[in-house]
Formats: sequence, C-alpha cells, structure tokens
Amino acid sequence: MSEILQYIPGKSPLHSLNPVTKLLLVILIVALCVLSSHITFLCFLIAVLVIGAFFSGLINELKNQVHFLLLLSFFLVLLTSLTVQEGEVLFTILPSHNPSEAGYGITMGGLMFGVLLSLRFVVMITAFQLFVVTTKPSDLVTGLLAFRLPVDYILMLLIALRFIPSLQLEAKRIHEAQLCRGYNPGTGISGKIMSMKPIMIPLVANSLAKTQVLGLTLDMRGYRARKKLPFHRLVFSIGDAISAILLIVILLTFALLHFIFI
Amino acid sequence: MILGSSLSYTYPVGTRPALREITLSIDSGELVLITGPTAAGKTTLCYALSGILHHELGGTLSGFLSLKNKPIGDYSGIAELNRHISMVFDDADAQLIFTSVEEELASGLETRMDSKQEIEDRVKEVMEICGISHLKERPPYALSGGQKQRVALAAALAMDTEVIILDEPTSELDVMATGRIIEILQDLKSKGKTIIIVDHSLEGYRNVADRVIVMGEGMIKQEGTFDEIYPEQQGLMRALYTDPDLIPYQHPENSSEIVKIDSLFKKYGDIEALSGVSLTLYEGEFIAILGENGSGKTTLVKHLNGLLRPDRGLITVCSLDAATVPVIELVKETGLVFQNPDTMLFADSVREEILFGLENIGDENPYQTISHVLSLVGLSGTETTYPRHLSRGERQRLAVACILALKPRIIILDEPTTGLDEKESDRMMELMLNLQKSGHTIIMVTHNMRIAEQYAGRIIAMENGRVIGDYHNLRGHTS
Repeated sequence: MSEILQYIPGKSPLHSLNPVTKLLLVILIVALCVLSSHITFLCFLIAVLVIGAFFSGLINELKNQVHFLLLLSFFLVLLTSLTVQEGEVLFTILPSHNPSEAGYGITMGGLMFGVLLSLRFVVMITAFQLFVVTTKPSDLVTGLLAFRLPVDYILMLLIALRFIPSLQLEAKRIHEAQLCRGYNPGTGISGKIMSMKPIMIPLVANSLAKTQVLGLTLDMRGYRARKKLPFHRLVFSIGDAISAILLIVILLTFALLHFIFI
Repeated sequence: MILGSSLSYTYPVGTRPALREITLSIDSGELVLITGPTAAGKTTLCYALSGILHHELGGTLSGFLSLKNKPIGDYSGIAELNRHISMVFDDADAQLIFTSVEEELASGLETRMDSKQEIEDRVKEVMEICGISHLKERPPYALSGGQKQRVALAAALAMDTEVIILDEPTSELDVMATGRIIEILQDLKSKGKTIIIVDHSLEGYRNVADRVIVMGEGMIKQEGTFDEIYPEQQGLMRALYTDPDLIPYQHPENSSEIVKIDSLFKKYGDIEALSGVSLTLYEGEFIAILGENGSGKTTLVKHLNGLLRPDRGLITVCSLDAATVPVIELVKETGLVFQNPDTMLFADSVREEILFGLENIGDENPYQTISHVLSLVGLSGTETTYPRHLSRGERQRLAVACILALKPRIIILDEPTTGLDEKESDRMMELMLNLQKSGHTIIMVTHNMRIAEQYAGRIIAMENGRVIGDYHNLRGHTS
C-alpha cells in the first residue's frame, strides 16, 4: 500500500534544508506559478522541481504521480477547450447556422489555457508533495510556528497527517471484513455510492471512538494551554544559503521573462 | 499516596453509577492489580485516580479522593496532575499522536526538562528499557498492535511520574512480551513508583502485585494479596507449544480432508510472511494456531478465504482452489471472524446486520436463518437493537452470527477473546464447541494460552512464517 503524503526519512539536500526555507520556497513557487501565465516560466519551475527531486533521490515519488497528473491535465484541457472560445479555431465541432460566423469549436486560446492550468497544477502539486515528503512532521510544525500560527491549529494539522495512513489501513481492514460477508461493491455510480455505506460507517464510528482517548492523552502530556511545541530549534545551514540563491534565480527568471522579453 | 472514600460516579450520559462507594488506600511504592469482568468499572476507576473524572468528564461525582494528602479536585487540573500521574489508556493507537516513536516519547518531556540533551537522553533510556530502540523513526501506522502498546507505555514511563496507571497494557501482547512488561513494572516498583494496573491475564503478576482488587458492578468485590485471592494457578504463563506433555499430531483415520496447504509462500514487500507452510486440516476439528506476534498466523488464515493469494504453493479449501476462486465463492465455505467486531458492524439493527451477508449470497429464507443464528449465539430478542449499543462480548457474538448465517463449513476466528473477560471468553468458546458438534470445523488464531489449552483439540504452533509444531491436546474439551 502506498501511503499518501507521508514523510520519507532520508538525508538528501531537500531533507536537510531548514523547514522555514522550504516553506518559503513552496509559497514563492506557488505564488509565482499563479501569477505567471508564461508557459516557458512554468516549465522552468517544473524543471527546478524535477532537478531538486532528482538530487534528493525522490524521482520515483514524482514518477508515481505522473499518471494522476496526466489524467488531471487531460480533463483540464478538455474542459477549457470546450468552454473557452478564444483565438484561432483549430477545428469546428458545431457549425454555426450563420455561414459568416465561426462555429463552436476547439480554439487555440482554449487549448493553451488548459495547458497553462495543467502546468500550474503540476507545479503546485509537485512542490507541495516534495515539501511534505522531505519534511519531518515535527519540523513542519517548527516551520509553521515560525510563521506565528497558533499551536492548536498546528496540532490539528499534525494529527490529521498522522491519521491519514491509519485510516487507509483501517479502511482496508473493514473492506476485508465485509468481503468475508460476501460484500460485493456495486457497479455504476449509484451502486458505487450505495456500497460505500458498509465501509464508511464503521470507519467513521471507529475514528470517533478514538477521539476521547486522544484528547485525554494530549491533556495528560500537558498540551493544554501550551504556547510552544517541543522538538527542534531552527538551524540554518549552507543548504539554506544555496536555497536563498536559488530563490533569487527563480525571481530573476520570472522578472526576465515577464518584464524584459515581453 | 492515594486515598479514596465512598467514591461514587455516574457518567453524564449514564443512568446507573459506574463507580459505587469505592473506598481504597494505595501506599507509595505499591503495585496494585485491578481485575474483574467487563463493565465492572475498572477503566472508570483509573480515570478517577488520574483526576480525569474530577477535571475533564463532568457527570455526577460524590465522595472523597486525594493524592499526596491533597484532594484531587483541588489540583489546578490535569496540567498540574500530570506532573505526578501518568496513564496508559487501553486504546494504544489513539494515544500515539506524533508521527514517529521518538517524537511521541519526547512530547511529554518538554515541560519537565530544560535542555534538548536531557530530553534526548531520557528518550533513549526509555526506548532501551521498553525494547523499542529499533522503532525509533517508525510512524505509528507501521507498528503492530503489540508494538503500539509498548510505545504507549514508554511514552508514559518517559515522564517519570510517581504514580503510573495502566489500563490493560498487555491485551495485544504475546506471552514473551507480557513477561517483559511485567519485568519493567517490577523494576519500576523497586525504584519506589506507585503502579496501578488493570489486566485480564493474571498469572504473571503472582509474586509481583502487592495487592489485587477485584471489581464488579462498580464496586470493590474482593481485596487481598494475590495468593489469597487466587490460590490456584490462573492460566498459563508459558507458551503452550513448549509443553512436553503435548503429543505429536497424527491425522484421524475416518475424517475427510477439508483444507490442504502445500508449500505456501507469501511476501509483503521484502518481508517473508509465510515461508513454506504445509498443513492438512480435517473436517470437524477444533484447531488453535498459536505463535508470537508476527509469526504469520493471521496471514495464513487469510489465505483460506481468498483475502490473500499465495505467491507460490497450493491451497485447497473444500475442494476449491483458494488461490484463484473468487472471494464471494470461498466465503460460503470459510467464514472468517475478525478480531474486532467493530470493523464490520454498520447497520441500524442486529437484523439488518445479519441480513447484509444473506442478501450478498442470495439466501432464500433470510428471516428464518436470522432467528436461527441469533438463538445459536444467545442473542435472541435483540433483532431491533442498534448493534453498537451491545456490549463488547455481545458484539463479538453478533459478528460470529453474521458469519454463521452464511453457513460456512469452516469457521475461522482471529483472536476471538481480545477485549473479552474470562466469562465472556468461555462463553464464546462454548459456542464454538457447540458449532463443532454440529459439524463445523473451527480454526482459531490466538495468543491466549488458557483457551487454547482448554478447548482446542489440535494445536499448531507457528514461528517466523513456518509451522514449528503440530500437536494433539489431550487436555482440550474436544479430545
């Protein structure tokens, strides 16, 4: 079973970066990819991320996502090509009743907008994924604390991340238990939805049953009214300095592409 | 250390008191074992002693309870009490909050220790004591049930409090691991810690517990030294298959084969879970499969109804090839009851719960089957009850009924007595004996040596994915 969004232990350059640096990089990359509508720049960002993943030995993690990203891109391009009518018509789907007007068709503008959206999603998802899998959850917390987020919310995020794989396992166990009773997931959309009940109800009920002990444990360990969390202090290293340079390079490229070579 | 008098408590949603007129005194450095049937108020008593009732849960509380001569209610809340008391709850998984074992142990130390070095040293020390150093970087989901229990225990021990309260800390541990936990507790006791422990498996505490408190219906029913209360041995504290009295298994002459397994191999990633298991099981047998945690017992039985498929090897169940036949066909022959009934209960009533399986296999006369299986498991009259309102023992029997309704020839039980007290465990086993008499083949995976010795006719021992012993059990009811 593959675990979603879980930390992968390692000692790669990305792992050793300070969580705050990584968080800043992610925020910057996400912000720039939203701001920019320059396909070359987005490709440049993807290249940066892929190179980062390559040097951190995480290229396989990215490969596992390719299938999902392609599917997502396909639907985005399909959606925009059908809805956005802009620029040169590549081919017509519905001819217009008035011969002097262009019909309804796939346009260059729609197609390009789809590609642009897809690239943005690829950048955002990849950046977030690389950040989460290379950052120990406790470091993630330290990073978020540096941004002055309240402890309660950070704990909430931490616990949510911790329980994702547990829920996956529990769902698998429940699925097996129902198979033993001849459970047969239905076909078609309505069948699929109806057949969720035997899995979802035990899953939710069992999770809710854990909340009391979870809360009491937090209390017993003294988390009530705590202003800070334990774990590591922030240490900046040579890697963080290199990241600062990388940050400048990304910004420069952004500026070059957007303000000089327009 | 702890003094309570006439302590009574009713939960906010409860109608009957969970604790009635509890009067007790626990001295510093004492190890007290609390036992009793399910719903006797053991967990509630633990909550009371740790201050949770006074400070967290609400409900109606009367009587007096003090810690170190100061009423528990006068402490400024759990935040102050946790400097004196730590508690291990019975649900190990829900107690692991952080994403690695190391962080879990460090989490309670920050308010107690100043330097990072001090915290690291303490974490290292506790991991060594509890034998979990090799799990240091593991996230909770990659731990087994037994490992989770040891981590939860370690997290409580790390805080180095004077009082340690443990609610069923060994329920998922095998004989060896339980023995190790008891050694740790003995060591802590010799260092002057006060230990209060709730447990069902008792024998290990002989000569360790200073006192035993037997609870029932929210009251203290009996109190005394271990030898006073249990003069006779309570279950076994050794692995049954090391017993020289067992005689090697020989296949019965006039029974027909029901399961045949030949050189079965199964890998999970790089870990070999089954390495060459060969076994023949005969119709009408009552078999217990024993082994330490992680020996491959559950993996083996999941092959019998197609939940897992072998990497290599042959497996035939009721003349069906269990490596290829669809699960839906196999479940009509082999019914597997999971360890925790809550993994399957989802319907709004007991009747609908059983009906689910019957509709899946297309039973012609479902309502008759339902009342038949309910009477078999002793749950007649509960047809309209909401399944999750039943007690743990009743839910376990309902889970058996759901499987029985499919009329399988083989019934497999995975750890059928976890979470059940002795009385409920015996009741479950009596039910299995009756089913065996009516022609079913019973296979149970367990680490409860007492029920294996008392009920199973054949004992199969597993270790590291291999069968290391196959015996007749002459002491079992069935032989």
